[in-house]
Amino acid sequence: MTRLPLDGMRVADLSMMWAGPFATKLLAEMGADVLKIESPSAWDNIRTLIPFPADSEPWNASYYFNTYNRQKRSVTLDLAQDAGRDVFLRLLAHCDVLVENYRADVLDNLGIGYDVLRAANPQLVIVSMAGFGKTGEDRSLVGFGPVIEMMSGLTSLTGYGDDGIPYKCGVSYGDPVGGQMAAAAVVLGLMQRRRTGTGTVIDLAQRETGAAMAGEAFVAASRHGTDQPQWGNRDPRLAPQGCYRCADQDLTRWEGTATPPVPGTEEQWVVVAARTDAEWRALARLVGRDDLAGLDLATRQQRHDELDEVLAAWARQRTAADVVAEVRAAGATAGRVHDTVSVHDDPQLAARGHWSTFPHPHMPDGWRQPVAAWHRVGEDRGLRARAPLFGEHTRTVLTELLGCTADELDELAAASVIGDAPINPGVG
Amino acid sequence: MVAQPLDGIRVLELGGGLAAAFATHLLAGYGAEVVRVDPPAHADAPPGMTEDQEAALLGGKRRIDADAAEVRRLAGVADVIVEDLDPATAAHLAFDPAELRAEREELVVVTISPFGRSGPDRDAGATNATVFATSGMMSLTGDPERTPLVTGGSQALHVGGLNAFGAALSALFGAQLHGTGAWVDISVQECLAGMLELYGPGGAYGLPPTLRFGNWHRACWALYPCSDGHAGVFCLERQVPSLFAAIGDPELDDPRFRDPLQRPDNEEELSASVIGFMVDHTGDDLLQIGQQRKIPFGIVRRPSELLEAPALRTRGFFDEVALPDGTVVTTPGRPFLGLGWTAPDRVHRPGEDTDAVHRDWSTPAPGGVA
Repeated sequence: MTRLPLDGMRVADLSMMWAGPFATKLLAEMGADVLKIESPSAWDNIRTLIPFPADSEPWNASYYFNTYNRQKRSVTLDLAQDAGRDVFLRLLAHCDVLVENYRADVLDNLGIGYDVLRAANPQLVIVSMAGFGKTGEDRSLVGFGPVIEMMSGLTSLTGYGDDGIPYKCGVSYGDPVGGQMAAAAVVLGLMQRRRTGTGTVIDLAQRETGAAMAGEAFVAASRHGTDQPQWGNRDPRLAPQGCYRCADQDLTRWEGTATPPVPGTEEQWVVVAARTDAEWRALARLVGRDDLAGLDLATRQQRHDELDEVLAAWARQRTAADVVAEVRAAGATAGRVHDTVSVHDDPQLAARGHWSTFPHPHMPDGWRQPVAAWHRVGEDRGLRARAPLFGEHTRTVLTELLGCTADELDELAAASVIGDAPINPGVG
Repeated sequence: MVAQPLDGIRVLELGGGLAAAFATHLLAGYGAEVVRVDPPAHADAPPGMTEDQEAALLGGKRRIDADAAEVRRLAGVADVIVEDLDPATAAHLAFDPAELRAEREELVVVTISPFGRSGPDRDAGATNATVFATSGMMSLTGDPERTPLVTGGSQALHVGGLNAFGAALSALFGAQLHGTGAWVDISVQECLAGMLELYGPGGAYGLPPTLRFGNWHRACWALYPCSDGHAGVFCLERQVPSLFAAIGDPELDDPRFRDPLQRPDNEEELSASVIGFMVDHTGDDLLQIGQQRKIPFGIVRRPSELLEAPALRTRGFFDEVALPDGTVVTTPGRPFLGLGWTAPDRVHRPGEDTDAVHRDWSTPAPGGVA
């Protein structure tokens, strides 16, 4: 059996919401034993962000939580209690990595600052991923993914370009990119430890990861003294490129359900582009406009609005799948704007086994989850384990790693240091 | 000098695209020796990186010209190959990761492509926007009354590069630990399709498609105008009381706003109150209030503003890089603190290092895994 690169590495995961759990999801996919540590009185909010009133344990029933926390083990420990901190520090001696995405001051407030953590295990690789880092003037700012995206410069670059309005990404974009960078930081820290024999502390400001994703915009501002314009769906290096509406899709299967589709979701769209003169010639002929096929790039850019109208009229008469197939067959470039349902039926993603259905006790029919994007060719892409139930592995882990007795565990449970359900869960 | 985690590691960059360049930019910063084979210029090729992208991502790398035989030879002494070759060029170079790894199982090859190296779309060309479209993320972005919108700054390609960076590191660590590298096939579409927050999993769980929200999801999770630009407030339920206290409108004590189960029926009215508060304050005012009251406010900052931001300067975030014409530009530097980062001194000219690399890379690196 092939060994995964992080086989044998254990991660203490104090992270919550989306950025940190995204990082530790990647580490779990690469073989790490991730111990997701939550307190019975302060659990990962993602568990209860979406109400599931019909489920007896709604904190275990969230497709949001269960997608990004699979292949981890769940351990409960209340770090605000002395007994919980003590167990936690003993547990760290058996871990290689600690990941946390608390606000900058929270570890110290809990009495587990870096000096305490490193005393517990000098070989520990610690990755802190506060939104704005542990130092600097902005360290005490509070922020989630959209705030990170805005404060990193990324949001300013997104917009239609004709009204000056910046648009946030449709997802909390700062979170997954922060998580991807944090996973890389963990591995670098482990490589450094392998060379030096000692652990390290990595201070990852999610805002800086976001800014690193926009290097060209910072160069533009530095070099030319002005910020890049918002390009909308166009690209300054090629033309035309745009997003065009196609024939609508049928949504009747959701009519009359508890969550009927909202107006607008019947719309289907494609992005079509001509990267070169040759692609443009092919595209112009495809849409029946041979008279435009000879336009050079500069002219296409000048007459972009007119070309948009031509392409839009052609696309509106076809399904999105047909537009993509015809444009690609002609030799130009196109992509269907998949919605949050159709993306699960994309033939390319299906052919590559990108979705894997895995059952869960509170979601017995399973749902299609994305497998590891770091696809190691020749290795099985399927999921290995579901997301854990709240506290599912607490007793096993504390017994196996720390030798805790049943009496000790019962005592911890009686004091709510550990538990198998959140205390007073609500919504949010 | 501080030892770096990738000291002695040789990385070969092939393809010339932004995604591979971003991945190897990060590898170089943490100590790897990166050699970039510049793509030969030919008429009617899709556009390559812009000058600004090159300035941001090519600093500190050695740049060479190489034919198929030389690429093959360099691949034989590299520890890591990161490539975003288009299929035709890969065929022209006879570049075959499986074959290379059959000769040296410790070798790490990371391939980045729009749709991956298998499946019906494996050879389909793409732009940043067309691949972004296929992921599902574009359908969630933009004004619901207008077209779906691609995010700015070539994010699809950057996400591909960022994932390639992590994948290369994990495979390299595996090679160091277990003796076996990997060929990692990164599909940009897959990277993005796995980042659909709760909306993608909801679609998989039987919910109908989610319509893009624009800048407004709900009153306490939205981007608004403020008195000097645009600012957002993004509150979890536990932070809503602090926001209401900051707004100071006694009307907000009413259960129709306080109760999270009643609030959805009164979002429009609540939004009017929130927006009134936002437009009465500057972005900096809002940040200060947020700091004091632990409310997640944010400002839409422009790169030109961030170049002067005290917090980023204090943390030493930016690098200064000299371009071949002598111009010095400011670029985002190390993505995190705690490990040694080498700021690139300059961007080399295309082909500048061809002879030196031919000489230096004649045998495996002494510090690498090759």
